[in-house]
Amino acid sequence: MALLHVENLRKSFGGLMAVKDLSFHVEPGEILGLIGPNGAGKSTVFNLIMGTITPDQGRILFKGRDITHWPTYKIVDAGVARVFQIARYFPRKTVYENVEISAIPNEIFVRSADPRAKTVESCVRTGLCTNEHCPGDDRCLCRSELPGMLPQGGLRRLELARAIGTDPELLLLDEPFAGLSHAEVDEISHLIASLRDEGQTIVLVDHNMRGVMRLVDRIVVLCFGEKIAEGTPEEVARNPQVQEAYLAGGGF
Amino acid sequence: MSLRTLKFALLGLTVIVAGAVGPFLPSKWMTTLLYAQLFAVYAMGWDILSGMTGQISFGHIFFVAVSGYTAGLLNLYLQWPIWATVPTGVVMAVLAGLLFSVPALRLRGPYFSLVTLILPLAAARLVIILADWTGGELGKFGVTPLCQDSLLNALNGVLLRLGISIDGFRLYQYCNYYFFWMLMAMVGGGLVWLSTSRIGKILEAIRENEEAVEAAGINVAKYKIFAFVVSAFIVGLGGALSVHTNEAVFFNSLLSLTTSIEMIVASVIGGMGTIVGALWGGFLVRGGEQVIKELAQLKLPIGAAGLALSFLERWATLIFFALLLVLLFFARQGLLPLLAGLFRRGRRIRGG
Repeated sequence: MALLHVENLRKSFGGLMAVKDLSFHVEPGEILGLIGPNGAGKSTVFNLIMGTITPDQGRILFKGRDITHWPTYKIVDAGVARVFQIARYFPRKTVYENVEISAIPNEIFVRSADPRAKTVESCVRTGLCTNEHCPGDDRCLCRSELPGMLPQGGLRRLELARAIGTDPELLLLDEPFAGLSHAEVDEISHLIASLRDEGQTIVLVDHNMRGVMRLVDRIVVLCFGEKIAEGTPEEVARNPQVQEAYLAGGGF
Repeated sequence: MSLRTLKFALLGLTVIVAGAVGPFLPSKWMTTLLYAQLFAVYAMGWDILSGMTGQISFGHIFFVAVSGYTAGLLNLYLQWPIWATVPTGVVMAVLAGLLFSVPALRLRGPYFSLVTLILPLAAARLVIILADWTGGELGKFGVTPLCQDSLLNALNGVLLRLGISIDGFRLYQYCNYYFFWMLMAMVGGGLVWLSTSRIGKILEAIRENEEAVEAAGINVAKYKIFAFVVSAFIVGLGGALSVHTNEAVFFNSLLSLTTSIEMIVASVIGGMGTIVGALWGGFLVRGGEQVIKELAQLKLPIGAAGLALSFLERWATLIFFALLLVLLFFARQGLLPLLAGLFRRGRRIRGG
């Protein structure tokens, strides 16, 4: 059974149809690429899945449950997490404390497990805190550094750590390579691959098809809110409609 | 040393000092500090909601009023005893907090703040319209005192057995002073614990980026309502007890917008969201003015007749607020963060 089912999703903003009768599904353990030129509606799809905006029509099923009208926090608790293209962090909390918030359960009165172990794990897994003291020890840089001091690649790792901290079964990555240097792109793509190898299901949005070809198992191509192709990277790359869309939209 | 330990240490120190100076205080100062302690409770109650989550409430005096008038009027007209009036007042304040949090959750930033301002204004009108019962702006006397004769006699008996003899009025003052001292210590302890717990971390995170908290799987609305309820509870508790200390329902102490604004000032001066900072701020705001008034009694040995400082008396409030502004200029983050910063730099301790 598919982990995520998107059925006939439709969303328009005023007269603009941002997502038009879109259906696709995500299999457990795969990396699905959601590709399309700028303005194709990729981020809107993420916003719809995360409950940031509600669709005009259609539904979203996660593990067979209809999550279409759920609030964001509930969707996150159910097991979907999103990594934003522009990091959304707590500027006055340290890097470690930023990750810690994700590890704290949504319970006020129930005494739950210590978030410490979870926080440490998320930090280590994303390579956010790497020196020998990290991140258990006060000497670790993560414990004093503020997010504002991190380079772009570090911020992306922080976003990833915050997402992973919520224990997601499905991870949505919004343009994870945008604004990164070549070296950082390699590192982050390595990190994503290693997460997949550990069994993490991922949906990855990107406008640059070439960059994600090696990383994804399957691709869904969006153009003006519509699905124009679906298949393995090779199949999609050969698709004349896709080539046209990309050439029209500035090439890929 | 963790931030929690540091805050508990600072709180403990403050409470010990406030307790230790009690017996040495002249009567006037004892009254000033009694009200400073009550006000510190208000300021800490404000801080747990507004200081921590960043939703600035201008109208916290509303919760004082709801609880204070409930307790006071129940006592005046139905002769309910203290053990019934105070809990009822607090429950009403909590209900008001709950009721208020629902629309408040839909509002952000200045819109939220402006709405909070409307509540005490509306309540003030109501109190004046119902002046026959509430006493209006003049207030109404005759509320059962917090320290009743039976309690004072019992205290006197204990003290006499210990070989301590204190005259009646002084004992009455002590009783009130140390009652609010205990209240301040308990509220301070509870709120320092809460503010440094996981719940506090989330409230702080809400202040910094609400969307990111939601994305972490946290129900922001639930935490905001919780903060509202705790805040209304604390402020309401202070309000209900103050009525019995004053032995009257006073419009000026239960519904003064100035007090509402001063809660913000106290928290900002001490450090928003730090609780202990709000407590210090409370003492500064209530005690500072009195200090200047005391100075006005002095004569400087300048010139033959000496330079009387009596002119300070009239200007005390103004001078005091000017000093607060200067303080804010140099310690924008507030006193406690300033101190914690120095402490950390000195000890090279990182993180929280």
